[in-house]
Amino acid sequence: MLKASAKSLVQLQVNGQAQEISIEPRRTLLDALRVDLGLTGTKKGCDEGTCGACTVLKEGKPVYSCLTLAIECEHSRIETIENLAKDGKMHPVQFAFIEQDALQCGFCTPGQIMSIKALLDQNPKPTESDIKRAVTGNLCRCGAYPNIVKAALSAAERLRRGG
Amino acid sequence: MKNFEYVSAPNLASAITQLQGSNSKALAGGTDLLTEMKERIKTPDRLVNLKSIHEMQGVRDDKDKLWIGALTTLSEIESHRFIAERYPILAQAAYLTASHQLRNAGTLGGNLCQSVRCWYYRHPDLTCWLKGGETCYAQEGINRHHAILGNAPCIAVQPSDLAPALIALDAVVRLKGDEVDGDLSLDEFFVLPDEGLRQRTVLGKSDLVVGVSIPKPAASSRGIYLKSMEREDWSFALVSVAVQLNFAGSKVGTARIVLGGVAGKPWRAKSAEAVIQGKVLNDSLAEEAGAAAVAGASPFEHNGYKVVLAKNLVKRALLELNK
Amino acid sequence: MPKVVTQQVEFEGHFFEQTVVIEGDDITPWGPEKEFSVVGQPHTRIDGSERVTGGAKFTHDIHLPGMLYGKFLRSPHPHAQIKKISTSRAEKLPGVRAIFTYENSPEIPWRMGLTKLFDKRIRYAGEEVACVIADDESICLDALDLIEVEYEKLPSVVDAELALENNAPKLHEAGNLVTGKPETYARGDVEKGFKEADVVVEGTFRTQVALHNCMETHGSAAVWEGDNLKIWDSTQHIFGVRDMVATALGLPKHKVRVIKQYMGGGFGSKNGAGKYTILAALAAKKTGRPVKILLDRREENLLAGNRPSTLQIVKIGATRDGKLTAIYHKCIANEGAYAAWVAGSTGPSTRMYACPNVKAENFGVFTNLGPVAAFRAPGYVEGTFALEAMMDEVAAKLGIDPLELRLRNYAEVDPTSGKSFTTKGLRKAYEIGSEMIGWERRSQIKKQNSTATKKIGFGMGSQIWGGSGGPPAYSVVKINNDGTAVVLTGTQEIGTGAKTAMAQIAAEVLAFPIESISVELGDTQIGLYSPLSAGSMTLASVGPAVRGAAEDAKKQLLDVGSQVLNIPIEDLVIENGDFLNKKSGERTPVKKIYEKLQNYMIVGRGARGPNPADKVVNTFGAQFAQVEVDIETGKVTLQKIVAVHESGRVINPLATRSQLEGGIIQGLGFALCEQRFVDPHLGLVLNASLETYKIPTMMDIPAIEAEMVNMPDPDVNNLGVKGIGEPPIIPTPAAIANAVADALGKRIYELPLSADRVLNTLYPSSQNERSS
Repeated sequence: MLKASAKSLVQLQVNGQAQEISIEPRRTLLDALRVDLGLTGTKKGCDEGTCGACTVLKEGKPVYSCLTLAIECEHSRIETIENLAKDGKMHPVQFAFIEQDALQCGFCTPGQIMSIKALLDQNPKPTESDIKRAVTGNLCRCGAYPNIVKAALSAAERLRRGG
Repeated sequence: MKNFEYVSAPNLASAITQLQGSNSKALAGGTDLLTEMKERIKTPDRLVNLKSIHEMQGVRDDKDKLWIGALTTLSEIESHRFIAERYPILAQAAYLTASHQLRNAGTLGGNLCQSVRCWYYRHPDLTCWLKGGETCYAQEGINRHHAILGNAPCIAVQPSDLAPALIALDAVVRLKGDEVDGDLSLDEFFVLPDEGLRQRTVLGKSDLVVGVSIPKPAASSRGIYLKSMEREDWSFALVSVAVQLNFAGSKVGTARIVLGGVAGKPWRAKSAEAVIQGKVLNDSLAEEAGAAAVAGASPFEHNGYKVVLAKNLVKRALLELNK
Repeated sequence: MPKVVTQQVEFEGHFFEQTVVIEGDDITPWGPEKEFSVVGQPHTRIDGSERVTGGAKFTHDIHLPGMLYGKFLRSPHPHAQIKKISTSRAEKLPGVRAIFTYENSPEIPWRMGLTKLFDKRIRYAGEEVACVIADDESICLDALDLIEVEYEKLPSVVDAELALENNAPKLHEAGNLVTGKPETYARGDVEKGFKEADVVVEGTFRTQVALHNCMETHGSAAVWEGDNLKIWDSTQHIFGVRDMVATALGLPKHKVRVIKQYMGGGFGSKNGAGKYTILAALAAKKTGRPVKILLDRREENLLAGNRPSTLQIVKIGATRDGKLTAIYHKCIANEGAYAAWVAGSTGPSTRMYACPNVKAENFGVFTNLGPVAAFRAPGYVEGTFALEAMMDEVAAKLGIDPLELRLRNYAEVDPTSGKSFTTKGLRKAYEIGSEMIGWERRSQIKKQNSTATKKIGFGMGSQIWGGSGGPPAYSVVKINNDGTAVVLTGTQEIGTGAKTAMAQIAAEVLAFPIESISVELGDTQIGLYSPLSAGSMTLASVGPAVRGAAEDAKKQLLDVGSQVLNIPIEDLVIENGDFLNKKSGERTPVKKIYEKLQNYMIVGRGARGPNPADKVVNTFGAQFAQVEVDIETGKVTLQKIVAVHESGRVINPLATRSQLEGGIIQGLGFALCEQRFVDPHLGLVLNASLETYKIPTMMDIPAIEAEMVNMPDPDVNNLGVKGIGEPPIIPTPAAIANAVADALGKRIYELPLSADRVLNTLYPSSQNERSS
């Protein structure tokens, strides 16, 4: 039985790498990523499980990292926005976001991209409605929504053609 | 969040023992509890993680009934083929709950046990009646989201989408703990708070929901879940309605109509059920049932619209099922 | 040569005279006939890759070794006097490094001297009482619980109308009226105008408080390097933050460096320094370590600004043939605890239509609530909603088509000054927009698509706003010896695509490929002064300076090229990064010539020229909405919205379209679901979270058809551009509300058009039914 109260060492699997950090049980996955691991691509918009800027993939599924305790993530596979581009080459979803102007300020963008990436991993041929449902929990105050749908459709096509 | 001791319980018995500590809370999806802890409404000394408890997991077809473990996520409920086929209103209710990320984390048990969304309860600078204070501020305040039915000293509504659907399906909840042990109709699991018990369910401090079982519906059974929200999606219900009807030929056999967002607990509209039982549904009967569902409603300054809304949603649900 | 002139300046719907130094007026404007290769073409963001990979460093992401964090203790009471404060228990908590209160902090005047950095008098719930600096945000929060404060509670007022009553609690010594008097406007004789009218309509409107809810909350990080203070701030105005910090801390401006590279939304709420900025600087000094203070979402919604609620009375008189004879518009806005200006909600009524008799009164009222801030077209969103609703009522009374009524009162010249507009594409916008929505066919569409429970309706709204931009704004263009160029300004990229547009301008002028241009901004120490990125003024202010700098650099480049290549300068042009001998057709890459010149660097300098003195600059637009109202659930669905706007020349159609969509989406939130709630008895904001304050999600987005009337404005500046950040939000709520009124055959005079409000209107007996 795992038991911890003060700071303890927790092992996380982030973006394919094992990382050990010393944290209190109250540390959220979001703060662990941003503060302890310096992965600031994942954003804190509300810290209350509403806006989706903190979306990361836990075992391939999008979750709000602000409502996930880091200590609960031992042995879970965590993927963040920093893992998408490989060798300086952007992921097709990232390309599509630029191409379709699916962002303005860019603060919600990493979360939007992670939600869409998870969708496309699971469903290579999503409908507009599938896309909208996948990012309903990712708020965008600038109103890039119409272009986010276009970007997801275009990325899906690009991926089907083999990236 | 205040810091706490974190324990991961390997099994049900251990979890119950751990929860007996002075100020312990059970953690499953965490999507409600952690928000309350961040707002410092709840400041437990110990969190007991339930996620590895085998007895609380899984969706199982047990011939005459379906078993859903309390740790089943809303996403699993939403997308489970068997649930979608046989219990569509449950899938619909899960589909309309929160956002994708929350459905991936949030569990059935947590959804049933979640705290109220009342703005006064959630306000960090107020100690309302439900938090142990003297006053239910909502009664004289901005009560547009509050109850129109069921007199209680706290007028916050029970926010779950799954609960009305499950009650309409006649679900039974399995409980395990110090104070409760065994099966209980889900309808009776929810209670209106009173002076003696400022809470929404029968659960004691170290009691847990293990899962629910739902009887197999009759071949003629049809259901629908409708939810009215302040925007298109990703909101709690202003009012929701779950209706499950068994038809006998063209007539309604048995009916279960449960409203969400109108009372301190999921509100079974028995008088509306009585209106349609044994009858052929039509516009005027649906209208009559809608009116019966809200008969006796006593709205506050800002929530009179819910009377109309609940009435119209019941009517709409019945007419949809009659199509 | 610099010239000192006094000229009229517009900002956020307000006009005032200013003495400015004018330069950069010697460049011939790009006229309507000018052909381009980069400008006017859709271009993806040049800073796109940083924003999609997580590499962009926002203020939130600034993390320095040894960094400390800060959190504020905030008053739970809306109005109070602090009697005593004790921090001794909090100080003992391990990890706490400093605690600031009124007892140990400098007395820095704040909000135009209406309060102080730490004021013992508390004027709203959420106001700063103390600030804890600690190793970690969690420790800060633990420490806040340990600070003991004794308050004397004072009677409070949160309702603007109540605050104007004689016996209301006073927030400030001078009373509860902002600036002590209403802002008034009059032309002609309204009384006479109403007498001449065949019909007079009058309506009382209420709009709600809207919260900006930028995804990145306000915040600052500060570090001292010797006696140099470096600040990262999530701001729309780096020079404004620098000046406020320098004044507050008594520092010379060259010792304060403010940096903002990326910002997660501002919408008008980030136009200056916050108390968090000052405290970060003070704490960094005291502890000798970098300090970061970020607001959380709740703080953001309590005190980082809002669009004030309004009570508006609009009265319009018109003759039988649809000519307006008089408009009266009164507005009372709830400004919260501090304000130095009142948004121009009556502006649309005074400026939109050719009406001879107009009177307007604009009141701002102090209440015990968080202070207002500019919010995307402050005042005009609210005022246009009320004005355009009454225009529809005039049209209905006269049996004239609403669009026709607007055309009959079309202002050919600015009705307030009699001066002509530089450009006005509103007629064109009406024409295109009405065609796109099917305005002529709307009764047919309504009939075909309405059902017993779902009613279709159509409505429109018109838009007028500033957006001229103006001086001062400066730029430098540097050409490197490999044939690449860097555009340097001191403006901000707040997500609008300003950086990309400036690269397009420089690429166009230099005739360099856009890939060889980079744009540096957002740093007061190395940038050149540029105004705040608000008032739709960034591109129209800074863009012309960039063109000026690029033209200057190009001139130098051609001069040098002609000498090295030994070709007469009149035969030499630059094309796609090459020198081209027009006579021989011979091409030589710029890079090749440069390599011969060691590290010679061309530096071009540009400044924004003056605005025209004899003409008025405005932006215009029209929107048309189609809604469906479910009369059983009260749900309003915006099915389709058409937006056609005129803001001069379009530099980047791709980013412009994004601006249009973004404005419309914020407008639909204001029209349908956004509203801050305050308990009238407790004086507390009840929905300060993003879960309870509903902004539109992906699912709320209608079909949006947005177009620009591309009408290069030859008089406004050397690019012919006007701003487009704010205009698209202005007519959206008006168009939606008019469409809902059309669907219901009944008008709702309050926003938002939420389900409860629609149901209460349709079933008035359902209100106040409580029997027990």
